[in-house]
Amino acid sequence: MSSFQDLALKLSTFWAERGCVYQQPYDLEVGAGTMHPDTFLRVLGPEPWRTVYVQPSRRPADARYGENPFRLGKHYQLQVILKPAPQDVQRVYVDSLEAMGIDLALHDLRFEEDNWEAPTLGAWGLGWQVMLDGMEITQFTYFQQAGGIELEPISAEITYGLERITMFLDLSRNVYEVDWVESGVKYGQVRHQDEVEFSKYYFETANVEFLRAQFEGNEAESARCLEAGLVLPAYECALKCSHQFNVLDARGAVSVTERVDLIKRVRRLAVSCAQAYVETREALGYPLLETSASDKGTGKESAPRKRVEKKPVKTRAAKKKKMKKKSAKAETNGEG
Amino acid sequence: MAKGEFLLEVRCEEIPARMLAPALRELGTRVFEELMARRLPPTEIETGFTPRRLVLALTGLPEREPDRQEDVTGPPVSVAFGEDGSPTSAAVGFAKRCGIDPSQLERRETPRGEYVAALQSIRGRATSEVLAELTPRLLAGLTWPKSMRWATSQGPWARPIHGIVALFQGSVVPFELFGIASGQTTMGHPVLSPKSFDVSSFEDYRKRLAANGIEIDFEQRRATLVKRMKAAATALGGELVDDELLLDKLSSICAIPGVVEGRFDRSFLELPREVLIASLRDHQSALTVQSRGKLLPVFLTVMDRLDDPEGRVRAGNEWVVAARLADARFFYAEDCKRPLADRAVDLENLSFHARLGSYADKSERVVELCRLIGNALELEAETEEAVEAARLLKIDLTTEMVKEFTSLQGMMGGVYARTEGHPEPVWKAIYEQYQPTSTSDPVPSAIASRIVGLADRVDTIVGILGLGLVPTGSKDPFGLRRAAQGVVRIALEGEMEVDLDLVAAKAYQCYEDRLDLPGEEVLATWRPFLFDRVRHILGREGYAYDEIEAARVVGGSNLPDLRARVDALNKIRQEPAFLDVVLAAKRIANILRDTPEKRLREELLAEEAEMILYQAYVGLKNDVDRSEAEGQYEHCLRAIAKFSDVLDRFFVEVLVMDENEDLRNNRIALLQAIQRTLSRTAALTEVVVEKKSGESANA
Repeated sequence: MSSFQDLALKLSTFWAERGCVYQQPYDLEVGAGTMHPDTFLRVLGPEPWRTVYVQPSRRPADARYGENPFRLGKHYQLQVILKPAPQDVQRVYVDSLEAMGIDLALHDLRFEEDNWEAPTLGAWGLGWQVMLDGMEITQFTYFQQAGGIELEPISAEITYGLERITMFLDLSRNVYEVDWVESGVKYGQVRHQDEVEFSKYYFETANVEFLRAQFEGNEAESARCLEAGLVLPAYECALKCSHQFNVLDARGAVSVTERVDLIKRVRRLAVSCAQAYVETREALGYPLLETSASDKGTGKESAPRKRVEKKPVKTRAAKKKKMKKKSAKAETNGEG
Repeated sequence: MAKGEFLLEVRCEEIPARMLAPALRELGTRVFEELMARRLPPTEIETGFTPRRLVLALTGLPEREPDRQEDVTGPPVSVAFGEDGSPTSAAVGFAKRCGIDPSQLERRETPRGEYVAALQSIRGRATSEVLAELTPRLLAGLTWPKSMRWATSQGPWARPIHGIVALFQGSVVPFELFGIASGQTTMGHPVLSPKSFDVSSFEDYRKRLAANGIEIDFEQRRATLVKRMKAAATALGGELVDDELLLDKLSSICAIPGVVEGRFDRSFLELPREVLIASLRDHQSALTVQSRGKLLPVFLTVMDRLDDPEGRVRAGNEWVVAARLADARFFYAEDCKRPLADRAVDLENLSFHARLGSYADKSERVVELCRLIGNALELEAETEEAVEAARLLKIDLTTEMVKEFTSLQGMMGGVYARTEGHPEPVWKAIYEQYQPTSTSDPVPSAIASRIVGLADRVDTIVGILGLGLVPTGSKDPFGLRRAAQGVVRIALEGEMEVDLDLVAAKAYQCYEDRLDLPGEEVLATWRPFLFDRVRHILGREGYAYDEIEAARVVGGSNLPDLRARVDALNKIRQEPAFLDVVLAAKRIANILRDTPEKRLREELLAEEAEMILYQAYVGLKNDVDRSEAEGQYEHCLRAIAKFSDVLDRFFVEVLVMDENEDLRNNRIALLQAIQRTLSRTAALTEVVVEKKSGESANA
């Protein structure tokens, strides 16, 4: 069966061959591939975009000192974004499974309803959890909204959980026993120390006061950056806040009421960044629309181009809608 | 092919199971209504679905709409004809447009004056043409609980559409929906039989799909699945543990109703039955198998294919189940390390509602309410059981098991209490605390469970209402309607003879100063809120609104007592004598409206009719007082019904509004006393009397 790295390579190659930018992981701690700016920000606005990358994703609360055979404080997601979602995206996804070496003639593949929602990102989408022989192997989502903004065109997001798929194909009962390299280095040999030390850090050692101060600092910095018109640095600060919140939460330092408040604050940052990103792309004249026109002249790619003239109008409408929502939010906040 | 057959298939990406059946119902209804409006009645409508296709088949459609004649109004007569009566160019043009000779024009009187009109023959459109117009419109207009857009500007619909078959009498009905053109091509299973093929009729279509194992009729698919599951269970040496809801779900997430069976390690059977069933159901959508009441180490679920050639499907499912059950075992073992009673402190940190305190606070209040209810029922042992259960009631919310399987809340606490050796009525009261969860779910079997069930729910309702958070429209975030429904059903079906208003008042008191609204205001909201459910439930049992209302005014919130009154009223209301006394009661109410209370003095009774009335009244009062105390409400109402004769005589012979003030006040006092007695069992003035005997109702 495929080793862990085989799987990552095969899937990356498969999608790179289908016009995806082979991107690298974001160089910050994030909870999911969705938070990479090449997903969260790129799905906004009219510009076409296709990318594939592996994103190490941190979930401090799921850390288990390297002792649980299934749960990890950090796992690897293989993330694909196709914008606009091609008409045959579901079939191409099925092809990607075959490319991984799964002979679907021998398996039971089903798409079960699973609607994705990330309140901290002001994002939601409709889609499925893809079940192979009763095991969830992929999250498949058509993004409908991100950063509180209605999306047009619609992106398809495909997220493979690499550890789980490798384990499953091998029917292995311990993630640390999985081959990272075929008949070579094991997953545990690469990652076990990482899991043990970070579990200790998240649950026992992390300095709560320091993390709180960092959260506050990054929150303020994000706002400052936005004021200076620097969207990407502002978004990085928001990502740092999000991770610091996750560590605080795992450390048991966040009460129920404080939790709600912190989530709200992260959301506010993410939504402001999304809003500002749309504006900066508009100001730049949507550079990727040009690229798509010159690079690919296929019939399929012509659809987004047609919308160029209409787009700014739509964006302004979206802005207005956004502002209305904001003021409604402020009122609810005032009450609470 | 059946005569006049229309076959429609929409192929799309997987639509969520719960949305499929309602969508097909709506589509069938809308298509039928529109065809009927066009006088194109189908003789038969069939629908079907799988996650990836919606199917509609109509038969017996006529070839075309019938031709019809339509009255078309033209220009006013003053414009249509010249002074000599000859048609003007306006009239000639109009006649030409209608396809008739100007001499055939008619005249019509309208509110705006006299106009020229023509009977125009309209040729019916071909059915195919009608279908091509209405089908895409109705498909696009289907209502989905959640819809999406896809690609660039496509949708909104449930999921992206990939193909449409639309055939009338075997010929394509041409239209387009979200950029997809209709045709006659479909395909089989996306993985197992993805080759596309053309179909010519519904029968052909079904046959071709069936050849690939695909069954589009939901009921048929479900029946097949159940049959296969039962057979598999028998082969495994047991019987299927029934789960209708899960079977519904499994039948709607597949196109091919294949069954996969798997085993799990025997050691997992040490877990409580409830845990095994919930883990398999919630995580793996799998059913269990039992033999002589004991679970076997096997599970059954659906696979969207008929065979499992290399056992991969089974191996995969077993792998997942093993991991899930290992999790469950870990949680269970963790939970068992600390007895429930030791965990009570954890409830202090678990918020019931930000402003209503923790679950520890709630438990204390529920204990108090259990005492009140138990004492009212004069049941000592059951009260103690209920109180003990109330102390442990919510502790399972702090267990790992309930955090993992919320569907096990209550039940899990009961299981732990049972394992710890608490008496059966105590663990049962915890186990059954959320019963009834639906209209088909029975109320808890034991008295202590019912006491706890009432106390817990009344506490929640009063608390939330006390913050001014009354449910509105479809918004009921705290599930208050369901809680109230539970209260009413437990009280009625469990024969809990307790005044629920007193329980609510006590609940308010137990909240001390936490609630925003004053107690009177909360109770004023509570009563109608509760009675909405009472009306609904008694109404469903067949009692009339006015019967319930008449009993409510008198009987208050002791619901079994209320129902006894409603029932007595229901039995007697058709009898003429009773109707007479109802009319008399309404008359008395009219006379007495707004009069202050007077004192009855026997020595002032002057005329014979009023003395007879007085004596009859004394007799009636004694009778009613006694029967009321015994709960003999039908007897009371029968006694009251007999009273109309004396009353009638009194009204005929005696003038209430006598000039003498003392006599007048005394007669008013007599009527006031009678009114009180007549309305002891039910407020007769609330009873609606039908028109034919009701001409004196407003006297």
